[in-house]
Amino acid sequence: MDQIINDLSHHIRLNKGFFLWMGFLALAFLACLYAYVQQLRYGLGVAGIRDYISWGLYISNFVFFVASSLIGMLISAVLGLIGLKWVQPITRIAETIAVAFAAVAGLVIVMDMGRPERLAYVFLYARFQSPILWDVTVITTYFVISLLLLFLPMIPDMAVLYKRFGNLPGWLKPVYKVLSLNWTDHPEQNRIIHRSMYILLILIIPAALSIHTVTSWLFALTVRPGWDSTIFGPYFVSGAFVAGSAAVIIAMFFFRKNYKLQDYLTDLHFNNMGKVLVLVAFVYLYFNINEYLVPGYKLKRADAIHLRELMSGHFAITFWLVQVGGLLIPIALMLFRKMRRPLPLTLISVVVLIAAWFKRYLIVVPTLAHPFLPIQHVPDNFRVYTPTLTEIAITLLSFILVLIIITLISKFFPVIPVVETAKEKGLDPLKSNES
Amino acid sequence: MDENTVNNRDEQDPSKSSRRNFLKNIGLLGAGVAAGAGALYSGDIFEKKKAATGESKVLLTQDNKLVEVDSLELKALAKNPTKLMLEKGREGIEGRRWVMVIDLSKCRNARRCIAACQEAHQLKPEQYHLNTLQMQDSPGTAPYHMPKNCQHCDNPPCVAVCPVDATYKRGDGIVLIDNERCIGCRFCMAACPYSARIFHWTSPKDSDKHNGEAYNVELNVPQKLGTISKCLFSADRCREGKLPYCVSACPNGVYYFGDENEDAVTNGTTKETVRLSKLLRDNGAYQLMPELGTKPRVYYLPPKNRLFPFEPATDESPKEG
Amino acid sequence: MKKLFYILLLVFIMLLRAEAQNPGWIVPDDQKGKICLVKFTPDMVKQGEALYMKNCQSCHGIPTKKNFAAIQPSPGDLSEPKAGTQKDGELFYRITTGKVPMPEFRNILSEDERWSVISFLRTFHKGYVQPDPEKMAASMGKRIRLSMTYDTARKKIMVKAVELTKEGPVAAKGAEIIVFVQRYFGNMQLADPKPTSESGYAGFDWPQDFPGDKTGKVILGARVNDPTGSMQEAIVRDTLAIGLPTNKPALTDTRAMWSTREKAPVWMILTYTLAVIIVWYFIIYIILSVLDMRKIKQVKNT
Repeated sequence: MDQIINDLSHHIRLNKGFFLWMGFLALAFLACLYAYVQQLRYGLGVAGIRDYISWGLYISNFVFFVASSLIGMLISAVLGLIGLKWVQPITRIAETIAVAFAAVAGLVIVMDMGRPERLAYVFLYARFQSPILWDVTVITTYFVISLLLLFLPMIPDMAVLYKRFGNLPGWLKPVYKVLSLNWTDHPEQNRIIHRSMYILLILIIPAALSIHTVTSWLFALTVRPGWDSTIFGPYFVSGAFVAGSAAVIIAMFFFRKNYKLQDYLTDLHFNNMGKVLVLVAFVYLYFNINEYLVPGYKLKRADAIHLRELMSGHFAITFWLVQVGGLLIPIALMLFRKMRRPLPLTLISVVVLIAAWFKRYLIVVPTLAHPFLPIQHVPDNFRVYTPTLTEIAITLLSFILVLIIITLISKFFPVIPVVETAKEKGLDPLKSNES
Repeated sequence: MDENTVNNRDEQDPSKSSRRNFLKNIGLLGAGVAAGAGALYSGDIFEKKKAATGESKVLLTQDNKLVEVDSLELKALAKNPTKLMLEKGREGIEGRRWVMVIDLSKCRNARRCIAACQEAHQLKPEQYHLNTLQMQDSPGTAPYHMPKNCQHCDNPPCVAVCPVDATYKRGDGIVLIDNERCIGCRFCMAACPYSARIFHWTSPKDSDKHNGEAYNVELNVPQKLGTISKCLFSADRCREGKLPYCVSACPNGVYYFGDENEDAVTNGTTKETVRLSKLLRDNGAYQLMPELGTKPRVYYLPPKNRLFPFEPATDESPKEG
Repeated sequence: MKKLFYILLLVFIMLLRAEAQNPGWIVPDDQKGKICLVKFTPDMVKQGEALYMKNCQSCHGIPTKKNFAAIQPSPGDLSEPKAGTQKDGELFYRITTGKVPMPEFRNILSEDERWSVISFLRTFHKGYVQPDPEKMAASMGKRIRLSMTYDTARKKIMVKAVELTKEGPVAAKGAEIIVFVQRYFGNMQLADPKPTSESGYAGFDWPQDFPGDKTGKVILGARVNDPTGSMQEAIVRDTLAIGLPTNKPALTDTRAMWSTREKAPVWMILTYTLAVIIVWYFIIYIILSVLDMRKIKQVKNT
């Protein structure tokens, strides 16, 4: 038992590497924060977006963040409820990613607002008919459920570590004590946690489907070519699973390496996650074919312009890199067992994740670049969208925030559930030296 | 002077400007002058017939005009002028359904309408509530110039998506924007198939000069950084019984504007008033992209029997200011 | 080459047609003699220039610059002798009545404004001398009084014109009557002008589908068609309840996706509220029950 505790918790300390990494993040954060202050002072004009192409990096990034956060639901709820035992060590990683991305997604949308100080109006004057109200509602809900899904299984862990992990930093002890809610492995307590988890795992499925479906509706509820699609909901959800699975694989790789968890995050886990990624990527591919072939066959005027711009026009290079390099080739590679080993799978996941980001860009920007009526008598930067440095910095700001949240959660709490792992092996977490 | 204090307070604290209590309190401050502006604004030509009490006060208005206001009305309107205009702007003019007819056969791309519009709404040269586009429906058909403004749809997709009721449709058909409410999410821009909306990415034109002026929602002036703007069918002019800025500025008789309920539209150039139904019927009028179900309130008369040869627009795109 | 030929041919044909359709723009003799009753002043010229730039320049161009629009029939540069040799009355008549494609400025420019435009144009016409206004005193016209009734049986608006002579009122025969309806932005002419009959009456068909206000009231007017103002302006206004009662609801009356929050579709309010209540009921229930866990230990210990 001590072995497990030590293995899974030894990284919970303030070491030099952590300070270096956090220092770097903090500096980068401040630099990018300056960019946002500029935007607050001078308006959204510091970004490259203008009339016509009025949504750009920020909204693409928002969609990407919502997408990435969706994985928490897939791993914990779907795979967990089916009863797949191997996902158990990954659940907390998935939930951490879900919480981090969902929290920051809310901030990303504020970054895109022309009048962020009026954020409260969204609740004060909320219109039931606006998808933005639905989106704000479901993202908040999903965030809270994910936070609970992250927190509940951690209660026993914190109680155990508080009592039995000698190296727990002193300043963390009171935090652990409060958050462990007097857990003593009492059957009644376990029953409450178990029942709550069960309800949450069921609740999170509609909540998760909603956040990404509603996010897709921000586009699909308009009449514009490229957005005016009935399959946008499932198209986005399947795409989200691809992005999220890739993110989880990358996180698994880093935790395994940095926190020395090779015994707990084994090649089997990577292999299985690789299989999950291939499966969701196939589903996504299927929706992609639907999304492009159906309008491409009929070539209605506006659709034809849109598809031409994507496939052979201004956005062609990005489009084919994303579709072939970021979807088709990864699928083909991951069919081989060799490619599902940790390192190659992680590299593939990095490519998939980057492609997933650009895919969101390709969903948001090209449609706006080609409205129904011609763009005339405006400056050139109204016609062609070029993100500015400030805009890129603000976008990076959101990524830095995600990294900070993931780092803090994973650094100060066990990445892999301690008590669950112990109970899996038939050990009593509160008593020592039974094995 | 008092008026400026009122407005400055409002400006500095937008989150509070909407709270009734707050406004009631500051409404007392500078009541006289504020009310003067309000009374002028309300300039309801119809209500002015009311019998006066005989007592009246001379007041200095926002635009430095001396006006005489009946002292009875003073009390009734002792409120913050911005607030007053916002309330009034939410109600349409009763019994009216504004409609615009644009005769493409007469448009020669003089762009006077645009100039008048940009002047009235304090817009930069690259910001259009109204833009004249050079159109060609298909390679075989003739090119023509098409003024394009907000279509004030009866099923407005932009209004449907607004999260905060900042853009709204009134009973008289006009789709307006309350830039004291707008959060700048630009969802309405994405939803509008006519690209009719613009956004203030940078400080609006002469924003320093207009800082502190009472906000007139029916003119959307002063414009505000980080909010949306668009064609308003000159709601302020409609209230006064005058034709919209663009309509009266056209030198070529392109625009007709009027009330669908009266079945009449008036040409802005010739001032000739004709029956709407007859004009639409005789000229084979159509609407922009009716297949989208937006039900526009703007009709177009096709560019047939033109009295002049088509001259392509010189694309002198304005620089971003 | 061939294309050019066709274009030229087309232009030629158009010119021919325009020529054929344009048998000249004849000004009635009695209008030619009309003159301005005041001396042109520099102020007047200045006002005229501003009005010209606003109303005329888009077709006629800036005088002497010959940058007039390429329209058929050609508007021409008004500084040229073609305009310069015309009498004041001729110019005034043309501005007043217009002729397609030139708009009629009767309702756009007041009489004084029309004269000021002419005073501006005259600055380009060498050798022009303004006729002496003193001489023009006698052209004061007749005095006419109008009255208006609605003939229910014949569905006609009947306008009666009476000339007030020294001997007393006499039915005015042959006075051209215009009937108009008041609309929000201006008066709508009901039909072409009609001369009064022997008995001084002119009848106008009243369209039965013409919208009035809520109770069907319409404000109507009649005047004598008198482009030059040589007759004393004779006009009558009346409110008649002969229109179609029009009481259309405000466009915002129904619940719709685009309405304000208060008028959102009922199913949407219900769905949203119910979904939020149900989900958050469970979330709050879970949070509370988890927080309750803290007490369990104490119970066990005591």
